[in-house]
Amino acid sequence: MAKRILICGVGALGSTCVMFIRNVDAELRLVDFDRVESKNLSAQWFVKQSVGKNKAEAVRLQLANFYGGKAEAITSRLEATNAAKLLEGCDLAVDCFDNADSRLVLSEACRAAQVALLHGAIAADGTVGLVRWDERFVPDREDVEGQATCEGGEHLPMIGLVGATLARTIQDFLKDGARNDYLVTLSGSVQTS
Amino acid sequence: MTILNITYQGRSADYHLDLDHGTSDADIRRIAVEVVRSGGVRGLHLPNLAMSTFNTFVVDRLRSPNGEQRIYLRPKVPFGSR
Repeated sequence: MAKRILICGVGALGSTCVMFIRNVDAELRLVDFDRVESKNLSAQWFVKQSVGKNKAEAVRLQLANFYGGKAEAITSRLEATNAAKLLEGCDLAVDCFDNADSRLVLSEACRAAQVALLHGAIAADGTVGLVRWDERFVPDREDVEGQATCEGGEHLPMIGLVGATLARTIQDFLKDGARNDYLVTLSGSVQTS
Repeated sequence: MTILNITYQGRSADYHLDLDHGTSDADIRRIAVEVVRSGGVRGLHLPNLAMSTFNTFVVDRLRSPNGEQRIYLRPKVPFGSR
């Protein structure tokens, strides 16, 4: 029976990761409440036809139309009140959120539901990223509220590196349950655990 | 022997050091500035690095896959999606 993976946030990291795991033997459940804006096209895996659509629905449509892939799109925000429901039947959750509060809500829900949780995170200046399992992850907060993010497009190479590392880590987990952590820089990735 | 890995401006390098038990995160940040300034970190030599450079950096203390103690000094990584 295929595993089910919940991808939490399909913006920069999440949409890129989905692109790289589109061929794994798993059912994908995508959750994101946000909508695609034209500025997202430079750093996220969306096309012009996606602008205006909900991000989870846009990724679902792209998987279906370009690759014949299937995914389930959840267009609401993951919160403490619905996290357990969204995690139902999932073997793995992947955190690609953009804020510490959402990451903490997801961590708590995954621990309660005993669902494996993998985090992906990237620095504001696009120079470093982390792929780390929940048991060793502490979310970082922004230095200042509203700090500039990776949406401008200049950090696309780093987004690609972290998204690909997330995808490989997911593959390894699906294959034999491995839980490897990585530090990702522009010169490559280093396994840290 | 502990390995201190410093990630700065997209570059990442290791430095081997002996640490006293209970070395604080602030100590790690101060040591990192000193060794980067001195040229002790191969591939990461910045003689004019400001003393405050690593003040907002995160210190991760982890055990590597082969069992060695490693300390990672890195920028914050708050983002993923937006």
